Amino acid sequence: MGIAEKTVRVQVLGRSGKEFIKGGVEISQDGTVADLKKAIQRQNAKYYPERQRLTLPLEPGQKRPTVLEGGKKLKDYFSNQNPQVVFKDLGPQVAYKTLFFFEYLGPLIIYPIFYFYPQIYNFFGLPTRQVTHPVQTYALYAWCFHYAKREFETFFIHRFSHATSPLANVYRNCAYYWVFGALIAYFVNHPLYTPVSREQMYIGFAIEAVSQISNFYCHIILKNLRSPDGKGGYQIPSGFLFNYVTCANYTTEIWQWIGFNIATQSLAGYLFLGAAGYIMSVWALQKHKRLRQTFDGKEGRAKYPRRWVIMPPLL
Amino acid sequence: MGVVKLYLCVYNWLLFAGWLQILVSAVKALQQSGPSGVYAAVEKPLQIWQTAALLEVFFPLVFSFLWFLVLRRIVYGIVRSPVMATLPQIGSRIYLTWGILFSFPQVQEHWLVTSLVLSWSITEVIRYSFFALKETFGYTPRFLLWLRYTTFFVLYPTGICSEAGLVFVTLPFMQLSDLYCLRMPNKLNFGFDYYYMSIVALLAYIPGSPGMYTHMIRQRKKALSSKPKAS
Repeated sequence: MGIAEKTVRVQVLGRSGKEFIKGGVEISQDGTVADLKKAIQRQNAKYYPERQRLTLPLEPGQKRPTVLEGGKKLKDYFSNQNPQVVFKDLGPQVAYKTLFFFEYLGPLIIYPIFYFYPQIYNFFGLPTRQVTHPVQTYALYAWCFHYAKREFETFFIHRFSHATSPLANVYRNCAYYWVFGALIAYFVNHPLYTPVSREQMYIGFAIEAVSQISNFYCHIILKNLRSPDGKGGYQIPSGFLFNYVTCANYTTEIWQWIGFNIATQSLAGYLFLGAAGYIMSVWALQKHKRLRQTFDGKEGRAKYPRRWVIMPPLL
Repeated sequence: MGVVKLYLCVYNWLLFAGWLQILVSAVKALQQSGPSGVYAAVEKPLQIWQTAALLEVFFPLVFSFLWFLVLRRIVYGIVRSPVMATLPQIGSRIYLTWGILFSFPQVQEHWLVTSLVLSWSITEVIRYSFFALKETFGYTPRFLLWLRYTTFFVLYPTGICSEAGLVFVTLPFMQLSDLYCLRMPNKLNFGFDYYYMSIVALLAYIPGSPGMYTHMIRQRKKALSSKPKAS
């Protein structure tokens, strides 16, 4: 008989403080957080690891609980004999790829419907579009190229730091992209659409094309920051526009929509630009703050250089 | 007494009085001339006091914005009701008061106006008297707390049905008029049709109403289960 592996019994509490799994779960003393999650799944198959969030019980005075990270060993978190974790069910999860695929599929399908089937305007009590302005055709190319590019990046470029997202986000994000896509498509392909001057159109599409290509290059730079397993995302992005802006990927995205709107000039498009700009600014501020905290220049850590957050010269 | 507290006291007493006036006028008119006379009797006070409720949204928004920008400190007390829960409620009331009743006189004598005004004014008389007492004396009688978190069981459904019903009976008039519509072609490449917007608003009641109702049931549990704390 070999030497029995030393195990430890971890108590799993619900968020109310009551015991979530009767008697807790037993795992190897050298086990990782991932092992613990698998052990919990064995007790209740519904809770696959991505669906679980494990934290340490709140210390007195602590406001945000410490989240247990998958790769770390349990020993790193517990010193005492009676380890406890708090379990939170994050709800059903879907892969990030699935989420992105469906968000972008909507605009990719809805937009061309308004271009290729102008009879659709009859449903709104309007005549069929008789004349198609050049700007409407270019806008279709720009729009479809943009969302096809996003789909391509989802499957072949992006590396995700989180594998999954809550299912509820699929509905929320799809509503956002699909509704805005439908509104912009409706107004830009409208039978009574008023185009801008040729010069303005060319300037707009030139900005949009340059921004799309730059944006693609930004995504390749970001991809190369991460190892293929999605780990190691906390590096200082550098190269190309990242030398000046923390979230150059968002900057190029915003400029792309500015270009699109200069060329197509629709209120719906500008509203979308506003919403997207706001959301990305919030994300960019978070990322900027996180990078500055991580790379504070102390104890041998690199110092995060002075950079714009998202929109030079404003932010 | 701080400025914020003074403001809250005055505001709540004022709105209590205003809604009481609406309730009394509505009941009187109902007795004298039946449902068709209710709107004429309450029009002005309804417009004034329902619009005043915007302050409830406006102040928290302005103040939280200021807070976001510079102050960061002074501003907590003025946010009483969470904006995200009150915004759709006040929004729909403003829409009914100005966008339906004021804009389409054809529906002003409809009997649904009676149930609408009664549902709103009873709710608000209770709610504002509750807040006013709380702000002024720091105390609210238990029966008022109970009323505030119980009457909605009846008054929400009647209010919501009156609102949605009135929008529904106004739809044909909207379709015939160009009021609040923006037509293409224009330089913004934008069009707006009040008729379609109202249909969307009606559809929003379908997920919105059960959400509000369950929100109130949760609030009720919270408010009525907690025993008065000895401080």
